[in-house]
Formats: sequence, structure tokens, C-alpha cells
Amino acid sequence: MGKLPQINATRVNLTLRRIEIRPAAADADLEGILTVLSQIGHPATLIETADMQDAGTDIAGNALLRAMAVAGFGAMNVMLMSVSVWAGAEAPMRDVFHVLSAMIAVPVVVFSGRFFLISAWGALRGGHVNMDVPITLALILALGLSLFETLRGGEEVFFDAALTLTFFLLIGRYLDHRMRRRARSAMAGLSRLTVKNALQVCPDGQVRSVAAEDITPEMVLRIPAGERMPVDVRILRGATDLDRALVTGESLPVSAGPGAEIEAGAMNLTGPVDVIALRAMSESFVADMSRMLATAEEGRGRYVRIADRAARLYVPVIHILAAVTFVGWYFATGDWQRSAFIAISVLIVTCPCALALAVPVAHVVAAGRLMREGILLKDGSALERLAQVDHAAFDKTGTLTTDTVMLRANLPDDAVTIAVLATLAGHSAHPAATAIARGLPPATTVLHDITETPGHGVEGRLADGRAVRLGRASWVGAIASADCNGEGPAFAIEGKPMVRIPLGESLREGAEAAVSALRTCGIGCEILSGDTEGPVARIALQLGGLPYAHGLSPAGKVARLRSFEGDGQRVLMVGDGLNDTPALAAAHVSISPASATDAGRAAADFVFLGASLAAVPVALRLARRTARVVRQNFGLAIVYNCIAVPLAMAGHVTPLIAAIAMSASSVLVVANSLRLNRGGDTVAPAVRKWNPTGEVPA
Amino acid sequence: MNVLIVLIPVSLAMGIVGVAAFLWSLRAEQYEDLSGDAERILYAEDRPISSKKSEPAQRKKETPP
Amino acid sequence: MIAQLRTGERQFALILSGMVALVGLAMAAVGQGDPMGAHGWIVLLFAGVVFCLLLRSLEDPEPSEDRTAVYYDDPTKVGILISLFWAVVAMGMGVWVASQLAWPDLRFDAAWSSFGRIRPVHTSGVIFGFGGNALIATSFHVMQRTSRARLAGQISPWFVLLGFNLFCIVAASGYLMGVTQSKEYAEPEWYADIWLVIVWVTYFTLYIRTLARRNEPHIYVANWYYLAFILVMAILHIVNNLAIPASFTGAKSYSAFSGVQDAMIQWWYGHNAVAFFLTAGFLGMLYYFLPKRAERPIYSYRLSILSFWGIVFFYIWVGSHHLHYTALPQWVQTLGMTFSVMLLIPSWASAGNALMTLNGAWHKVRDDAVLRFMMVAAVFYGLSTFEGSFMAVRAVNSLSHYTDWTVGHVHSGAMGWVAMIVFGSIYAVVPLLWRKETMYSWKLVEWHFWLALAGTVVYVFAMWNSGITQGLMWRTYTESGTLAYSFTDTLVAMHPYYIARAFGGALFLTGAILCAINVVMTIRRVPERVPELDHPTSSEAGEPAVPAGE
Repeated sequence: MGKLPQINATRVNLTLRRIEIRPAAADADLEGILTVLSQIGHPATLIETADMQDAGTDIAGNALLRAMAVAGFGAMNVMLMSVSVWAGAEAPMRDVFHVLSAMIAVPVVVFSGRFFLISAWGALRGGHVNMDVPITLALILALGLSLFETLRGGEEVFFDAALTLTFFLLIGRYLDHRMRRRARSAMAGLSRLTVKNALQVCPDGQVRSVAAEDITPEMVLRIPAGERMPVDVRILRGATDLDRALVTGESLPVSAGPGAEIEAGAMNLTGPVDVIALRAMSESFVADMSRMLATAEEGRGRYVRIADRAARLYVPVIHILAAVTFVGWYFATGDWQRSAFIAISVLIVTCPCALALAVPVAHVVAAGRLMREGILLKDGSALERLAQVDHAAFDKTGTLTTDTVMLRANLPDDAVTIAVLATLAGHSAHPAATAIARGLPPATTVLHDITETPGHGVEGRLADGRAVRLGRASWVGAIASADCNGEGPAFAIEGKPMVRIPLGESLREGAEAAVSALRTCGIGCEILSGDTEGPVARIALQLGGLPYAHGLSPAGKVARLRSFEGDGQRVLMVGDGLNDTPALAAAHVSISPASATDAGRAAADFVFLGASLAAVPVALRLARRTARVVRQNFGLAIVYNCIAVPLAMAGHVTPLIAAIAMSASSVLVVANSLRLNRGGDTVAPAVRKWNPTGEVPA
Repeated sequence: MNVLIVLIPVSLAMGIVGVAAFLWSLRAEQYEDLSGDAERILYAEDRPISSKKSEPAQRKKETPP
Repeated sequence: MIAQLRTGERQFALILSGMVALVGLAMAAVGQGDPMGAHGWIVLLFAGVVFCLLLRSLEDPEPSEDRTAVYYDDPTKVGILISLFWAVVAMGMGVWVASQLAWPDLRFDAAWSSFGRIRPVHTSGVIFGFGGNALIATSFHVMQRTSRARLAGQISPWFVLLGFNLFCIVAASGYLMGVTQSKEYAEPEWYADIWLVIVWVTYFTLYIRTLARRNEPHIYVANWYYLAFILVMAILHIVNNLAIPASFTGAKSYSAFSGVQDAMIQWWYGHNAVAFFLTAGFLGMLYYFLPKRAERPIYSYRLSILSFWGIVFFYIWVGSHHLHYTALPQWVQTLGMTFSVMLLIPSWASAGNALMTLNGAWHKVRDDAVLRFMMVAAVFYGLSTFEGSFMAVRAVNSLSHYTDWTVGHVHSGAMGWVAMIVFGSIYAVVPLLWRKETMYSWKLVEWHFWLALAGTVVYVFAMWNSGITQGLMWRTYTESGTLAYSFTDTLVAMHPYYIARAFGGALFLTGAILCAINVVMTIRRVPERVPELDHPTSSEAGEPAVPAGE
């Protein structure tokens, strides 16, 4: 890519599957660049930098990493001094090592452990406790007692335990941070779809630009072809075709003339129209969507992650155990130092680390695995939610289907007619026409006087003077000898009978396989679409007879999802369009293809980059495996605690044992989570893996 | 073990240099693209790149796998 | 090569070599009657030759092409050839000295050829001469290729390469004259040590400067390994060689440390030298040349970074395992032992990473001897690190300390890991550097591989047997509590193993000689190829691993 003249520099990031391009000029031809990428075998989609929040520098994450590195360094060095002491260094040497350990441990714990200290303080001030409170308690007490022992010339200190604890906890914290960072609001995506300015036709006939927020009802606007409606409008003058797919999910463009009411966000395809505004922007369709979205996201926020639920249980239990230990030993021995020691060892050895690592490690590994399959995970909790799903709802247009294609039934066998049709279709940019032209062999007929009439169709003249028309049936019927009932655009050569060209949609790659895979997993599927019944029913049939609902507005889709919720079912929503956005946010969990609109991509929990719907069952199976691994991790942590806590309470845990036990339990949890990398299924062969040497991987 | 007076500070100093180097590498974004870094040596041409300085990136694209 | 330098650079080089020659002259004058004097003459001769070569070509036309558009490969090429020269010489010395153990008369009754004198010629020769030159040469290659930028100096690479070899020559000649500090792998005396510091600082600066001007933002992991090797060796060398010369007119010096303190410093140095010279440096080589040759990326790049930091932090404290059952305090020994065992983790991470990289390319390992060298090197790396950790445990060490098993361990690492990865890398890089279509003879490469492998296996098996025999014999007691075997008894028992050892070494040496021949013939006889800029290193582009019908 760097060799293209219009590109100054490129850099590929294989991990994130991104290519960064610096164009030579600010107004570079992005479409052209995308075409070249696709030609060399790497089709790409444009992303705005605000889409992926991890684009900017992760200040908080880097702070955590720095703290982790310093903690690791400190832990290593203090550990080696501890090993020397445990190995039998004599008293004077031992004291020197203790002092050195203190000099390293105290600043390191303060620097690296500050996250826990600050968080615990915040929680306590707010009158409640969180996971960081016992951790901070353990750290402060361990350090304090160790310092006391050092100054006293005592034999045992806990510096290494405090540092190792800090180190492992920071690892968990960092991984958790990485996962949470990806979650963000879809609001930003939605606002980008709103139109900024529009042309106003003033009463005196002048045309001037007006900001979209300033549009008031009854204002007359001029919408050229290629622009979206800024607000809900009614057409005054002109006729055109509108693409409402984003808004309603209708698969074919809709013709509209004076008097038709159109929602904000619909795209004007063919001809300029003058319209009268019906509502201000804040009450228009997009604004409605934003409000629905906000409500939905709020609901989502109430979902409590597993880790947090575990923490709520863990915190009081551990405090009680430590307190009981202290009191018990004090009564037994009267030696407050020893009692404090043992109580602290209880706090430390229960190792919040394994608990803190159990979930984030598994999620990070799973996210990496998903990324390799071309599935982007945007929120850690989404993995948990996906594993709980028992029902799936699919949007139709753009999700289950891709381009409009032509059905080949009922076409005249006459090659000449086909050629004329192909030629005529090739001269229009209307999506129906391009679909027809795509489905026919390239045309060579010569046509004269080709004109496109917005709202009606395209026409031309044959060499022998006869007119040919393709478009709306009523308009084409004017030159045809006989009418024809049926669906789809009409085509006629002057004097000949009209022919209807029924158009259908093509299923997205992998749709059938995905639906049957989901059903095998016990997930019921259905289609929720805004389109008319005909297309929806056809697709439902093609997919093996799925239940479907048609003609749904965005609010309607949300209502349907809520009814599932009411039945106690948890729904996965798969959708792409603007009209799906509230539904994507309202569902228990959602996934959308990369070809979705900005808002759709932003609202979904998962985005799959490839073309195939096989990503959906793959993500689902991996989410279930992850949930199993998380449960196992918790199990491991609990078993470990059940062994370690009684030992600690009985006073058998020395600093050495605490350090080893902590490390071992954390390593076990990590190792168990790494299993997610192996096995499982892939989205291939629909997905091609990047291989620079050109070899096809086995 | 008097020699530890020498060995421990020296080792600590080397350790600190190590940590500093690690922190630098974090800041210098050396770990942004581990897959790309591993593959890059395989397809690089056998001559130096002439450095072209240009403005920061304005566009990013994602490629499906 | 000199024609590649600009006139200003040639003049600078002239001044440098002139200065070194003067120092040599001063040493010769001041140190008359002492080995230092002889060294002075050697330095003078070396610098003088360089001076004359420069003088002869001083007036040659300057290079016309834009130098920043191509890599600077002359120092790499010369470094590889010098490395092979040292391989043959130093391994030859090794065979000789091993044979002396079996047949002591091979000393020929001279002082210079006694066991104690030629042994360090062998150790320094293979480690610094063979290994060190290979590291310098390949590091020049790797840092340029991965930074996509030319070396940051024209004269400094030559200063590093030639200066380093001057150090090696002074060291080797010194040993023959009886000059030694008696510190393993740190035998050269004070003036040679000072010279090495100067050379090494130049090496480090050159490396950093080249990385600073890199055109590829990411610093490939191999560079980290090389850098750790350079930096840590500098510190280790300085601390361990702190010494006070008896006088500035002689070679003799006294260590700044003494007794068991000195022993600890020595083995802190000695083992870290193994860690950072013989391990980290060559891991840098492995991480570049193995994926290149196999045409597959490293299996887990993240793991290579993690094991780098693991090695850096774990290795430093391992040294005291050399001093088990000595006057060194018990707890220091235990410290070393603990870290030695922990060290297994990052070491095996690297070995495993290398082998997993070959997953899917095993057919290439079967067909391509060069890749096979590298694979066997990775396997021996894993074996040696396990063996090392195992032997570092005090209980095991009670059997193995001072026996031939230690020697066997060193050589499984040196022959099986270090030498094999060097040979693999040399075969991989020679056709590229000299722009040849292929190596002169793939059959010779195969022969080399099998000779090297056989030599290593014979040697190591012999030493395992002899070491354990020695250990067992030394600790066998009679019923009355006295030693059952005298020392001489054990020597007699060793005799066949000493012969096997020399034989194994001879096989290995033969392989190295074949390599040298192959490389020289490649340079002289094989036709050049039109450089394919898009595909620099390939095991299959026009180079059949084993030519058909042979």
C-alpha cells in the first residue's frame, strides 16, 4: 500500500487487524483506497477513531502497568533476600536483609499499591466496603508489623508477602481494566448519524443553510439527492426514491411523492424534493431513538458482574475470619504480636489474587481468542451475558441478508430482451436497477436518450425508435401493451407486454449454518424485521421455518424483547441498522456485523468483522466455555481458600508458605484460563487468515 | 559475606536499569502489535527504509481476518 | 572494503591505529623482560598491519553511492570469517588439550604447551573468539535488518571488531606465556581488561545509536537480548576484574577481593557470563535466524518478551551454585540454588517457543540441514538448562562438583546449543550477505551437521559416565571409614573416557573445518545472484536443501 502515490505512509497492526494510512493530501479518495485494499485480498471497513476507545493512550492502563513492573521488581529483590534469610542467614546478616527489604518494600507498596489504598478509602468514606478494603488492610498491617519486627530485630517479616500480593493483585486489576475499557455508550455513534445542516427554502424563494437544531415545524426544506432527511418531514414537491432500510429495515427503496411522510434519517436517493418539516429535531425519529437507547443502556448498567457478586460475599467473610483468628489466639496465648501475625497471615493467604484474577484472566484470554476469529468484544460483562442466552432474535435487512439480488423466475427467454433490460438497468443508480444489472450478463445493446425520472424509473430508446422503460409499474404500463401483476419493478419494450422482475434478497454467508448451530445449542431463533411481510416470510422459510414478526418499528422491536424478558428468557439480538439500535441495547446481549451502521456497531456488545454469520455460534460457544472456566477458577480459588484458611488460622502459615501459596493459586487460575486458547471452533473457512508468505495455513 | 556490600547494590542497580528499560518500552508503545512485530521480519525488504516524516494519522481502517 | 570509507574516515582510522600502535610500542618498551613487553610487540604488530592496509588504500576513490540506502555489511562479513577462524583454532586447541589428558606426553615438554596454559586458550578462544565474533557479527546484521537502518558508524564497527580480536589475541598469547589472573573466563590481565572496556563501551554506544536512528518503530525482541548481553557483560567484566597491578610495567595484578569473597565475585561473574554471553546473546541470534529460516513467525512473541525479562531478573543470583560445599556460607549457596531452579521457567519458555515455531515446518527441518542445526540447538538449550538447574541442587552437586559431569554440562551447552546455533545462523546468512545463489555444497552442510551432533553426543555421554564414575569413586568409603579409592585409581578409570572425549571433540572440530571450507568456497566459487529484494532469506528459493541425486 505504501507504494501508491496518494499514500504517504502506512503501518499495519496485525494484532488489532488495523491498517493506519496517512494520505498524501487531506482530501484523499478513501473509496479508492478501500477498493485497492479489497483487490489485494484484504477488504477493509473504515472506522472512526472514536469508535474504538482504545485508540487513544490508555493513561490509566499504563499507570497500572508501571505499578505492576515496579511491584514485580520489588517483589523479586525482596524475595531473594527472604530466601537468603529462610536459608539460614545468621542474625546480623538477617537484620541487614530485613532493613534492605523494608527500604525496598515500603516505597514500592506505597507507589504500586496506591490504587487499592485510594479505592478503599473512597469506599469507606462512602460508608460501604469493597474488595480493596481487606486488601489495603492486609498490606498496611503486614508492612506495619514487619517494620516493627525489623526494628526489634525479630525473626520473621512479611515484606515479600506484601509485595507479592501487590504484584498479583495489580495483574488482576490491569486485566480487568483492559476489559472494562472497551465498554462505552452508543450515544456517540448515534449522534454522528444526525444531519448537521439543511437547506431552507425561505418564503421569498431564497435558499439558505440552516442548522438542523434550528429547524422548526412548518419550515420548508430542500433535500438534494444523496442526503438524509434531517427531521421528520412531508414531501411538498417532487418525487423520488427513498432508502428507508436504515430506518425501517425495508429491503427495497420506496418511491414517494407529494404528501408522503418520511422519518428523519431516511436517505433521499434519486431526485431533489422540497419538504415541509413536521417536527423539530429533538422530537424526530433519531431523537426518539436516542431516548430509547439511553433507557436501554441504563437497564444494562444494572447487570452485576460475577466478580462483583463474588466480592460482596468475600469481603465480610474474610474480615470476620481475621478478627476471629486474632481474638482467638489472643485469648489462647495472650501474645498480641503473635495473634496479630496470625490474623494478618489469614488476611494475606486467603489471597484475593486468585479471586481477583479468576474472571479477568479468563475474559482476556477469551477476548484474544475471539479477536483471532475476527470478533470484537466490547464489554467484559458481555461474555458473561452471552453465556446465559437461551433465545436469539435476528434483524433481517443487512443482518440475515446482504445485497438485493434478482430472482430469475419469470424472465423472458428472449436474449435480446434480456440484453436491453441489462443495458437499461446499467444506466441507473437505483439499488433495484443495479441489482438487476448485476444479475444479468453484461449488455451490449445501444440505447439512445436514456433518462431517469425520479420516483418512476429509467427509460431509453432503441435504435428502431421504440421506447423501453424500467421502473414503477404504473409508469411502465404507459408504453406496454399489457399489464402484469406481481412484485418488483416492471420492464417493457414499447408495444410488448410488461414483465415484472421479482427481486429477492440473498442470505448472508453462513446464515443457515448459524441458525441451525444455534438451534442445536438449544437456542430458539426468530426474526424481528421492519420490512413488509413478503420478504420477511421468504427469508424465514429459507432458514428452516423460523417464527417472524414483520413491520416492527424500533419501539416495536424493543417491546418484543421486553416481553421475552418478562417471560424470563434472555435474548441475544443480532442486528445492524439504525432501527435496531435500541433493540441492540435493550437485549440481554447483542452482536452486529462490521458492515452495520456506526450506531449499530456502537450499541452492540460484539462486532464480527468477517462476512459470515458463523461468528454468532462461535462467540456463543466460546462464551459458554468461558463461563465454565470462570466457574472452575472460582472453584479453584475456593478450594485453595478452604485449605489455606484453616492452616492460617491454626498458625501454620509462615511468610514463606504464604508467598508460595499465593503464587501457586494465581498461577493455577491463569493456567486454567489459558485453556480457552486451545480447542473450540473457528469461523473459517469463510475467514481468511493473514499470511504474509502466501502460504495457506494447514 | 562482606562482598555482598558490593554485589547487592550492583545487582539492585542493574535491576533498576532493567525496570527503567521496561517502563521506557511501555511508553514507547513497543507492545502494541505483537503479531505484526513477529511477522514483520519475514517480509521486510533487504534494504533500509528512507524515513518520510508526515503528520499524525487521520484515518484508521479495520480489516476482517 | 577500505574503499567503502570516505577519505576523512580513512584518516581517522589511521590516527586510531597509529595511537594503538604507539601504546603497543610503549608497552613493549616499558614492559621489557615481562610478558607485557611481548604483548606490546603483538599490539604494535596488529595495529601496524591495520595502519599499513589503510595507508595502502588511502588514495583509493571514494564510494559514490548513497550509503544510507544500503546496509553496512562489511564488518559482518569479516566478523563471520574471523569467527570461523577462531572456531578451527580454538576447537583444535580443545582437541589437543583433551588429548593431553589421555596422553600427557602430548605436552612435548615445553612450558607454553602445558595443560594449564593451553586450556584457557581453548576456553577463551571458543567463547570469546568463536562465540564473541559471531555475536558481534550477527548483532550488526540483526540490528540493521530489524531497524531498517544502516549502522550508526563507519569506523566504530571496525574498531569494535578489530579491537575485540586484539583482546582475544592478547589473551591467547598471554596464556601461552603464562599470563593469567586464574579467574575462569576472566583470565586476561589488567591492561587487556581495560582495553576490552574501551571496545565494549564503543560497541554499546554503536548499538544504541543505531537503534536510535531506526526507521522501524518497533525494536525486535532479538535486539533486547543482544543489548542485555552487551550491557550486563560490561558491568560483570568491570566488577570481576577490579584489580591492582603489581606495577605498571608488568602483567601481574592482584584482585581487589580475596578469599571466599573473591570466589563469590568470580562466580557471580562466571555464571552471569554464561547467562548473558552464552545464553542471552545467542538467544538473540536464535530469535532472528530461526523464524527467518523457517519462514514462520515466532510462535508466541509475547512469551519471548516475558522470558527475556524473566531471564534478566532471575539469572543474576544464580552464581553461588558453583560454590556448593565450599567456604561460602550455606545460605548464599541456597540462594543460588533456589534461583537456579526458578530459572528453568524462562529458559524452557524460550526453548519451547523456538520449537513450537517449527510446528508446521517439520518437513523443512527434515530437508534443510541449516534449520536442523537451529532446531537441535534449541533442544540442547532446553536439555542444558534442565541439567544445569538439576546440578545446582546441593544434593546433586555433592556428587557432581569438581567432576567431569560439570565439563559435560558445559560442553552440552557449548557444543549442542551455542556452536550449533552459530553454525546454523552462519549458513543461513552467508548466501544472503555475499549475494550468492546458494552455499557451495549442501552435502558438506549435512556432513557438518551429523559430525557436530555425533561429536556432541559422544562427548557428553563420555563425560556423563566419567563424571558420575569419578563422583561415586571419590565418595566411596571402606568399612573403616577411609576412602576406598585413591586419586590415581580414579584417573586410571577415566582414561577411556578421556580418549572418547578427545574423539568427540575431534569429530566436532572436523565439522567446523568443513564449515570453514564451505564458506570460503561459497565466497570464491559460487556465482552471484541478482538480489531479490522482496525475499531476502529463503531456504527454498533456488536452494535445494539436499541436491537431488547426491
